[in-house]
Amino acid sequence: MIGFLIRRLFQAAVVVLLVTMITFILLRAIPGNVAVAILGPSSYRNPQVLAAFNREYGFDKPWIAQYLLWLGHLLQGNLGFSWTLDQSVASLLGSHLPKTIWLVGVSTLVALIVAVPIGLWQAVRRNQMVDYSFTALSFLFYAAPTFFVGTVLILVFSVKLHVFGPEGPQGGLVSDVTDWRDLTLPVVTLALVTIALFSRYARSAVMDNLTEDYVRTALAKGASARRVLWRHVLRNSLIPIATLLGLSLPAIMSGALITESVFNYPGMGYLFFKAAQQQDYPTLLGFIIVVAIATVAGSLLADIGYAVLDPRVRYTRS
Amino acid sequence: MHSQQLHRHNRPRFRIAAACCAVLAMAIAACSSSGGSSGTSGTSGSGQAGGTKVAGGTATWALQPSSVPNYIFPFTSSTYFSTVNAEEFQYLMYRPLYWFGNGASPTLNTGLSLANPPVYNGKQVTITMKGWKWSNGETVNAQDLLFWIHMMQAVAPQDWGDYVPGLFPGNVSDVKVVSAMTLTMTMDKAYNPTWFTDNELSQLTPMPLAWDRTAAGPSDCVTTVSDCAKVYSYLDSQSKALSTWATSPLWSIVDGPWKLASFNADGNSTFVPNPGYSGPVKPTLAKFEELPFTTESAEYNVLQAGAAGAGQTIDVGYLPTTDAPTKPAGATVGANPVNGYTLAPLIQWAINYFPVNLQSTTSNGPVDRQLYFRQALQYLMNQKAVIDGPLHGYGAYTVGPVGTYPATPYLSAQGKQGDPFPYNPEKARELLASHGWNVVPNGITTCQDPSLCGPGISKGHQLVFNLPYATGVNWIDSEMSQLQSNASLVGIKLNLEPKPFDQVTAIGAPNCVVAHTSCNWDMANWGGGWSFVPDYYPSGETLFESGSGANSGGYSNAENDDLINQTLTSSSLTPLYNWQNYLSTQVPFIWQPNGAYALYEVADNLRGVTPIDTTGNLNPEDWYFVQ
Repeated sequence: MIGFLIRRLFQAAVVVLLVTMITFILLRAIPGNVAVAILGPSSYRNPQVLAAFNREYGFDKPWIAQYLLWLGHLLQGNLGFSWTLDQSVASLLGSHLPKTIWLVGVSTLVALIVAVPIGLWQAVRRNQMVDYSFTALSFLFYAAPTFFVGTVLILVFSVKLHVFGPEGPQGGLVSDVTDWRDLTLPVVTLALVTIALFSRYARSAVMDNLTEDYVRTALAKGASARRVLWRHVLRNSLIPIATLLGLSLPAIMSGALITESVFNYPGMGYLFFKAAQQQDYPTLLGFIIVVAIATVAGSLLADIGYAVLDPRVRYTRS
Repeated sequence: MHSQQLHRHNRPRFRIAAACCAVLAMAIAACSSSGGSSGTSGTSGSGQAGGTKVAGGTATWALQPSSVPNYIFPFTSSTYFSTVNAEEFQYLMYRPLYWFGNGASPTLNTGLSLANPPVYNGKQVTITMKGWKWSNGETVNAQDLLFWIHMMQAVAPQDWGDYVPGLFPGNVSDVKVVSAMTLTMTMDKAYNPTWFTDNELSQLTPMPLAWDRTAAGPSDCVTTVSDCAKVYSYLDSQSKALSTWATSPLWSIVDGPWKLASFNADGNSTFVPNPGYSGPVKPTLAKFEELPFTTESAEYNVLQAGAAGAGQTIDVGYLPTTDAPTKPAGATVGANPVNGYTLAPLIQWAINYFPVNLQSTTSNGPVDRQLYFRQALQYLMNQKAVIDGPLHGYGAYTVGPVGTYPATPYLSAQGKQGDPFPYNPEKARELLASHGWNVVPNGITTCQDPSLCGPGISKGHQLVFNLPYATGVNWIDSEMSQLQSNASLVGIKLNLEPKPFDQVTAIGAPNCVVAHTSCNWDMANWGGGWSFVPDYYPSGETLFESGSGANSGGYSNAENDDLINQTLTSSSLTPLYNWQNYLSTQVPFIWQPNGAYALYEVADNLRGVTPIDTTGNLNPEDWYFVQ
């Protein structure tokens, strides 16, 4: 297991490194002059100001030198400085990341709590009206873009019914707990899409497990259907969900980006949205590093979780 | 000019969401029998009458999308030189020497200025301070003004965002404090007083002597220019510590009507009245809050939802143009789809255009340099259709280098006659045909006679151009599609390239030769043109003079330069009229409509907000609630 972990951690580090390199190249390939974009239209009255900016931030160097410079800073814990937001990227991440983690965490938890029982129910009632109904809803929400779902929810629950706030909590992390009416719609928006995905997997996993020998054996030994379902089938059905959960992290983060924009929620997505508009490369790179690490970590956790939950994996690998 | 003015109209919006929002709003309104805001309408002023003035209350104001203050020190470098930092934030606390904006008119407001109107005597100008107070009890005096001027002399080329080589402080040979309240400047020549006041003195902001320090302790920039660089570095570093703004002993010394009570880096700002403000109108509100938004749609959701949820409500917000019912012809304001608010459109003191690059290194460069070609393209820009169509009536014509809105004495009689190039594809066709082009409607026009087409244009050259433009503003999208369609009528093929705003400005805003950026482009439209802030006098030295850094297309013409120089030295308006009449038909840029900066929505129980200042200045000290 330790060898497996070390191997996977090494792979993860390589992947993150490659992601940073590719991202760096892509960002530098964007047309236009970074200095002009950052310094604004009045700067081009003074070419020496543009030159000084390029010199200060290394834009006068070849991209590989710029990349190595940035990487060197990164290894020292320096993620750079956001010109447009006038703060260090580390402090920006420090203030925005917790809110996104909270939003993503709560919505994922809600999604799990709702999706697994739905999937279980659908599997038990497969090919019945309940199953068809939830399948249709799952497809609907899975196909619907996050911004569309969010906008519909705002129009119905904020603009028309005045039940929940049209934007997420605007204060610090504490406000995310206290202003639950404002947090509800962003959480529901993210959760609805995730529920659609998770419930489909849960349904399939339960259906697969219901045909396994151990189910027949348990029933033959006199266990009640309810006990078999909740104690045996559910546990085994959670294995693919655990994998899916890990692999879904980047998708959920991406969903948070859109959701935060729709709901004016000051998290990482909000930060990325602004940075992308303003060619704020340090912030973009900082965000992408976080998402890359989340992706790799999610994948790693999924592998570990799979190994922990399913002993056969450990036996096979050993 | 503020960089943000370019951004203002062009902040990318969540257009698809906005479109869906509109569709859904219609669908829900159709399905619902209850009276919602989407189904009702009002007109400007209907809710802005009557009521009893009440003291106190908190007014909230929605910032433009993805636009938040990030610099508090009013001596602002290019990086932070923006409307959201200056007019919408710093000016609330730190007043410029001269205030511009009299209601909708972008003229000198002597009542709100810190000094009496300047007195000119040949090459000398005398400025006498009024003796208003800083919040620490000290007097705003001539030394405070000298402090700023010394700072400019020390670091302006690198660190003052409105610096223009050769102009202030380079055009001032001597500055003297002659008494506690009086300062004189000697200029290198006698300038047009209006120009010098509106475009040079307008940049000055007195600074309190408490700011004359470094981390090590008090400094002496106010008397020794060489000390100023270190003072600047210190103040710049303090301005970058955003989390300390509200508690900083530096930034708490203000001469404006407001003090910063709280601020977070997301842009949420709370201001409270400065009890020591010396100006004529003291704040009535107990608090003034600025609220950040990611997109117009997010702001509009909050505006419509009112008090839903635990979050904020908006007292002064804005209506996305796409959601505004079209304004009837002749009316100043159209119907308002938001209940409880009054619609108050703001069209800025500005012109709008996009450059054709006369310095282009593409194969089209020789074509770009032909006046007849630019005039033909101008005939294909249908400003009326853009204003009546995607702008929903909320826009003004751009007829040349001087803005048409608001009405000012600066616009010539010729300019007042309207668009010098009204939409006319036939005239465009004639111009091309008479200059040796084989015009192929809905095809591609080619040069048949190079001797007529112009120098450097070879036989068979095709009129095919790439046109990057800023995405995120619906009316610009529509305008570009319309221009593409109009151009195809005379065989000009425009390949539209939608790009983020900052990319388009990075490509097309600088004079590529002066700024040493790539000249490998022909046209670029960032959609925002140019606002006359804080250079309020619409002379052309910054935008149109040969070799100017902001002369995006690199237009160069000795006669034009001579006319501009006359506007800087003559106190008569005649040179300004002569210059604009000449330049408007030279088409140095392609003139396009000046779309509304914002369709403000003012809560019906809030007064004093209108008329909204066309300079973008914000005066919440005039606001008050009524019962």
